Amino acid sequence: MSIVTVQLGQCGNQIGFEVFDALFSDLHCSQGFCSKKENEAYQASCRERFFSEEENGVPIARAVLIDMEPKVINQTLSKAAQSGRWKYGQHSCFCQKQGSGNNWAYGYSVHGPRHQESIMNLIQKEVEKCDSLSGFFIIMSMAGGTGSGLGAFITQNLQDEFSNSLRMNQIIWPYGTGEVIVQNYNSILTLSHLYRSSDALLVHENDAVHKICAKLMNIKQISFSNINQVLAHQLGSVFQPTYSAESSSHYRRNPLGDLMENLVPHPEFKMLGIRNIPQMPENSLAYSAFTWAGLLKHLRQMLISNAKMEEGINWQVRPPLSGLPPLGRASVGMEPHFNTSIANLVILRGKEAHSADLEGFKEPALYTTWLKPVDAFSVWRTQRAFRRYEKSAALVSNSQFLVKPLDTIVGRAWNMFASKAYIHQYTKFGVEEEDFLDSFTLLEQIVASYCNL
Amino acid sequence: MGRRRRRVAGAAGVGVGALPEAIAALSQSLPAGPSPEVFRRAKFDRPEAASALWRLLFHVLSPLGAVGASASLGPEARARWVKSALSSQGYQRPALARLPEDGSQGSRELLLALSWLLARGPLLERLLAQTRVRLGDEVPALECESLARPGPAVEAEGPVDVRRVQWLLGKLRLRWRGLASGQQEQSALLSKIHGYTHSCHGNHSLGHLSVTEAEALRDPENGRQLLQALESENARLEAAVRWRACELVYWQWMDTVLGSCPLEVPAAASQPTFLPRIPEHRISELELVARELQGLQEALREAAEPRRAAWQARATSAAGGHSSPSAVACWSQAGAHSPQLAARARGCGGASLGGPCRRPCSSSSQPCSGPGSKTLALPGPLGPTGW
Repeated sequence: MSIVTVQLGQCGNQIGFEVFDALFSDLHCSQGFCSKKENEAYQASCRERFFSEEENGVPIARAVLIDMEPKVINQTLSKAAQSGRWKYGQHSCFCQKQGSGNNWAYGYSVHGPRHQESIMNLIQKEVEKCDSLSGFFIIMSMAGGTGSGLGAFITQNLQDEFSNSLRMNQIIWPYGTGEVIVQNYNSILTLSHLYRSSDALLVHENDAVHKICAKLMNIKQISFSNINQVLAHQLGSVFQPTYSAESSSHYRRNPLGDLMENLVPHPEFKMLGIRNIPQMPENSLAYSAFTWAGLLKHLRQMLISNAKMEEGINWQVRPPLSGLPPLGRASVGMEPHFNTSIANLVILRGKEAHSADLEGFKEPALYTTWLKPVDAFSVWRTQRAFRRYEKSAALVSNSQFLVKPLDTIVGRAWNMFASKAYIHQYTKFGVEEEDFLDSFTLLEQIVASYCNL
Repeated sequence: MGRRRRRVAGAAGVGVGALPEAIAALSQSLPAGPSPEVFRRAKFDRPEAASALWRLLFHVLSPLGAVGASASLGPEARARWVKSALSSQGYQRPALARLPEDGSQGSRELLLALSWLLARGPLLERLLAQTRVRLGDEVPALECESLARPGPAVEAEGPVDVRRVQWLLGKLRLRWRGLASGQQEQSALLSKIHGYTHSCHGNHSLGHLSVTEAEALRDPENGRQLLQALESENARLEAAVRWRACELVYWQWMDTVLGSCPLEVPAAASQPTFLPRIPEHRISELELVARELQGLQEALREAAEPRRAAWQARATSAAGGHSSPSAVACWSQAGAHSPQLAARARGCGGASLGGPCRRPCSSSSQPCSGPGSKTLALPGPLGPTGW
């Protein structure tokens, strides 16, 4: 079943390009470490999901590009066409002549309704190219102007028009020390609106990915394209084909649906984080050997101690003994804090994936009391290697990963709101103080729910 | 048929040859229909006919698609299921409920139950409709008005966290959405097939092929299987038509089957083998009903007692006088089965109660079996012969 990607704003479009590029290069990777027949099934499954066929054989990404300025979209289109391997549809983009100046309210209340019909028509055309629609990826930043306000509006529209299709928003969490003054306002407004209309919020933290680039990838001068490539790698390692639950001779038809059923059925707990291991520069791959036991041990500790990458993990954090409450349950600020999970999904790709031992992830102590590990934990596997990593594992987790960052943002936004700083920018375009208060209430509720696991 | 057949008193039918054909037509149109010989033996309650009839009843009572499950059920489970299914349809004969569940006995009761089902409603037509070969494309309408209304209260093992309930409800909603998406996919693909096979169909009003038809064309093996399925369905339909033409013979024969059952003694102690589960809030209503029933029973008893006493008085006064046929009838119908009293009522006259009979037995005493037939169909070496 197919996924249609909606790329919003500068952030969304740049990342979207890297995602499709990563998927495509993995498809045609020479070293799949598996049989030819299996490789062909893998390719067919991925292509059906993310690309549609064109007459002269160049696959077209199932995507709609939206931005208020033409610059980034043009760059993205030409980069894709240049490679000659895949491209975007000629008529799949929507842009205007001028930008919206980082104003969330302008994006939500002005751009949105004004261009609603054209944008939804574009999306409808892309949907009609699919034999079967699983759902939508909506890639957007949380704190910008166009991407976030318009993105919140579009997601609501998708909920109205395609109510049976699933909606996953890929949200880019801004740097803690970001440049935009009102980024915290934008963030809380985006999050609260998306919580109501989206099914899952897969969060990518800029700070975390930046550190991965610096420490693991050894990149000296980190550009946005480096960051986006790491991000795309993480996404690809989750959504590339995996074996279906019934047998390993078929690939899973609906990974988006399966992921959502396993991780986010509860309406209050929709925030997901991604971790993957190993992550290294390509030229080091040939010199590294991995074991599943080692990889999974690190991944588990990353989960428990809320580490963002495989370096610098705090090995002191342990799951609580049965019967005792986990450390730091009372308040958010204590460290080190054991990360309680609601549900986890581990994806294994590569040689002998079927033999990997996952008992460490099935301990009840890792999870909240109201879900047993048999319901809370799921595994996806495939023998086919991902982007030449002989063995690689990814973790999608619905856990307390994002409680602290969320709490920080809400706190900062509240402080600004208390002094009514910059509110006039929003009220000018129809976002009233009540909307702010509603957002604060909702997000406080979410923080409390996650803390009380 | 190669056996010496004697005519049983009261044997019905135009000619006995029409009956096996009627039964053969019936069993050909039923799923898992046994041979006419099984029916014949069942009339005489032969044990070897029982298991075939249990199987037949199971197939006939199973809802659509559950027939595949029959392989997993043992004969005891199957027998129990058949009994409970019959009882829930309203079949009241206690003899059926009393049958042993190992499937070894009771073929006559099973035959009666089958005929009851046949007589009750359009059983044959319903069964034939269930197993129709479907040639066209059907997409069921997906309706989901309300999710998960609370059912009967079930005892949970411990305190249930409401978050877990919300989790499960959310899963259910996601799966409904997945189902709806799957249906949309099915519709899209069906319309593609219809588009590709446009103007391929012989019947121009349809204009395109269905999936079954397209599959049959693509793969000759599929086509052969489809042909076989259609032929066997045709055979069953023809059998059903033949049955409808001659079923009267069968019903007349069933009268004799019913007649050959022993008279039921309504045993006061017989209880149903299972009790339906009663939700709690109905128990108070049930108590009310139980009390009312008890009251009725008391009233009936009070009304019946003086009548019975009156009968007794009349009967004893009659027996003290002549042995009138009405007295004989009275006794045998009032259920007083004491052999002494019966003998007294039959042959004695002029003797007082309690004394031995002094008169020789009357030669007019008649044997208990039937009106005046000199010959009886005796059971042959393989069981009773004749219908």
